[in-house]
Amino acid sequence: MSVEGESAAVYYAGIDVGAANTKGVIIDAEGALRGFAVLPSGVELASAARQAFEKALAVAGVAREEVGAIVSTGYGREIVPDKTKVVTEITCHGRGAIAQFPATRLVIDIGGQDSKAIGLGPSGAVRGFEMNDKCAAGTGRFLEVMARALQVGLDKMGPVALEAEEPATISSTCTVFAESEVISLLTQGVPISAIVAGLCNAVAERVHGLAARVGVQPEVTMTGGVSKNPAVVKAMERTLGISVNVPEEPLIAGALGAALIARDLGQQE
Amino acid sequence: MPGTYTQIATFEAVCADPYRIAREVAEQGRRVAGYMCTYTPEELFHAAGYFPVRILGRNSGGTNQADGHLPAYACGFLRSALDMALAGELDFLKLIVFSHTCDTMQNLADIWRQCVPGVAEVAITTPVVVGTGHAVVYFREEIARARRTLEQEAGRIPDGRILESIRLYDEHRALMQDLYALKRARPACLTGRQMMAAVLASFLMPREAHLPLIQGLLAELEAAPAEAGDDRPKVLVVGNMCQNLDYVTAIEDAGCLVLDEDLCSGSRAFAMEAQDMGGPLDRLARMYLVNTACPTKHQPGYNVGGALLKKAQAWHVNGVILLLTKFCEPWGFDYPCLKKMFEGAGIATLLVEVESHQPPGEQFRSRIAAFVEMLEAAP
Repeated sequence: MSVEGESAAVYYAGIDVGAANTKGVIIDAEGALRGFAVLPSGVELASAARQAFEKALAVAGVAREEVGAIVSTGYGREIVPDKTKVVTEITCHGRGAIAQFPATRLVIDIGGQDSKAIGLGPSGAVRGFEMNDKCAAGTGRFLEVMARALQVGLDKMGPVALEAEEPATISSTCTVFAESEVISLLTQGVPISAIVAGLCNAVAERVHGLAARVGVQPEVTMTGGVSKNPAVVKAMERTLGISVNVPEEPLIAGALGAALIARDLGQQE
Repeated sequence: MPGTYTQIATFEAVCADPYRIAREVAEQGRRVAGYMCTYTPEELFHAAGYFPVRILGRNSGGTNQADGHLPAYACGFLRSALDMALAGELDFLKLIVFSHTCDTMQNLADIWRQCVPGVAEVAITTPVVVGTGHAVVYFREEIARARRTLEQEAGRIPDGRILESIRLYDEHRALMQDLYALKRARPACLTGRQMMAAVLASFLMPREAHLPLIQGLLAELEAAPAEAGDDRPKVLVVGNMCQNLDYVTAIEDAGCLVLDEDLCSGSRAFAMEAQDMGGPLDRLARMYLVNTACPTKHQPGYNVGGALLKKAQAWHVNGVILLLTKFCEPWGFDYPCLKKMFEGAGIATLLVEVESHQPPGEQFRSRIAAFVEMLEAAP
C-alpha cells in the first residue's frame, strides 16, 4: 500500500508489432520517453513482442511490475501478451506524431508493408485516413526488394540517391515489374544513383496519391522506417510542395503513440 | 447478447452451402432460374414455375477459368459467378436471367451465352432512367418479352398466376421491411451477421419457405424482452455486394454495430412498394423501377446521396461504411458525392474497397478498427 504523496513510479508501454519490425517503447508518468527497442518481427510475433518489451524495459531501467498499462498496435497487435488494450496503428501513429510535432495535420507513415496517410483535426483526433491496398509499391518492402536487386544496402539507399544528377523515371506501379524495369535501366547503363533516386521518387509519388485523398494540410509529419531515408523525405517534400517533419526516431512513432494511449488509460483509473 | 433463434440457425446453414437448396429443388424436377440483379422481376419466373435463386458468386477461391474471359478490372462478383458456371457448379440452372445494369453485366450475358452450354438465357433491359412514364412502358414491354420467352419453355403463364406470385413476394417484402425496422428500433436484438444471414437466405431459398421463417422470427423477437442499451458506435453500411457474412462479422468485431445497410445484396432487394392498380406486368414494371441507390440507374430529380443522408440522420448513425466491390465503376462515380454529402453533414465515412468473393483480410480489419476508434474519439 502506498503512502500518500509517495506513490510508486509508474511507467507505460507501447508495443508495435509491424510487418518488418517490432518496436517497444517505455514512457514515464509525464509521457517522456525512457527507453525503446526495435527488433525484426520474424515469424514468432508473440516472442518478438515479448523481447521488444523486455529490451525496452532494460534500456529504460524499469521493472515489469512498474508498468501500469500496455497498449499493443501494428499488424500483430492481437498477439501481444499481457496487453491492456489493442489500438490500431492509425490512431497510434497519429498520436505519436502529435506528441512530437503538435501542429501536425497530416501523418505519412511508410512502414515495411504498408503506407498510410492519416489526417488529424485541430484536437489531434483522426479525421480520416487512407492505406495502400493489396500492393507493396510505395512501402518499405518495395525499397528492400530494389536494394537487393541493386546490391545497395537499405540504409545506403538515401545517401546514394542524393548523389544522383538526374533521377531515372520508374513508371511501373508494381514492385515486381519495377524490378524488371530497374534491371532494364541497368542494362542501358543508367547510373545506380539515378535509379535509386528514381525509386525514392516513385515511393513518394505513390504515397502522395494517398495523402491527396485525405487532404494535404500543413504540418506534415512522416513516420515509419522509410522516413529514415532522406531521399524519400526530400522527394515527398518536393511532390507535396511543403516541408515535412521527421521525428528523431521515426520507426517508433506508432509504439510511442501506443504508450501515450496506455498512459491515458492508466491515469484514467 | 441476442438470443438464439432456430430460424437464424437455418439461415446460417443456408448461407454456408448457398446452392444446396437450388440443387435439391432441381433434383426434384422443379426448374431453377438464376439471376444476379436486384431489379429482376422474380415474380414472373416464379409464376412460370421456376425457383428463382440469386447467384452471388463464391466466398473464397480463385476465378481462374473466368479470368480467361473477363479482364482483371471486371468486378470479382461477376468473375466469381462466371467461374462457378464454367466449373460446373451451377449445373442445376435451367435458365439464367440477365438484367442490363453495368457494362460488365451486359457483356457477361454474351460470354455466358457462348461459354456455358445447356442454359437458356433471358435478358431484360432495365431502363437506365427510371421514374418516368416512358420507363414504365418500356420496362413492361421488356417483361412481356421475357414472358413470351418463358412461355415457349414452360407453357402459358396466366395473369392470375403472376398476381399470386406478386402477392407472395409483396407479403415477403413487407415482412423483411418489418424485420429491418425492428432491428433499427432494437439494434442489439440480432447481430449484424444474423440479420445479413436472414437477408441472404431469402435469395437462396424459395420465398414460400423463407416467409414463414421470417414470420416466426419476428414473432419471437417481438416477444423477447428488450435488450439492454448498447453504446457501440452505430454504422450504416452502404454499397453494392456483401454476400460473405464474414465481412459483417469483421465489421462488428471491430467494436461497432451495423444498424442497417443499403446494399444491392441487402435492403434494396426489399424496397419495392406493393402496387394494387393495373395488370400484373404493369405492376411489376412500376414496382421494380423504384428510387434506388443503384448507381447504374438515374432518376431525374432524385438525389441518391440526399436520400441516404436522410436515413443516416433519422437513424442517428455515427458513421457510414461505404463497402465497395472493387472495380464497380458506376459506384466509383457516385462515391465522391456521397462522401461529400455525409461528411458535410458531420457523419464520418470510410471507403473500403473489397474483393467480396475473397474472405476479409487483415487490411480490412485494420481499417474498420481504425474507423471505429475514430468514431469513439469523436466529440
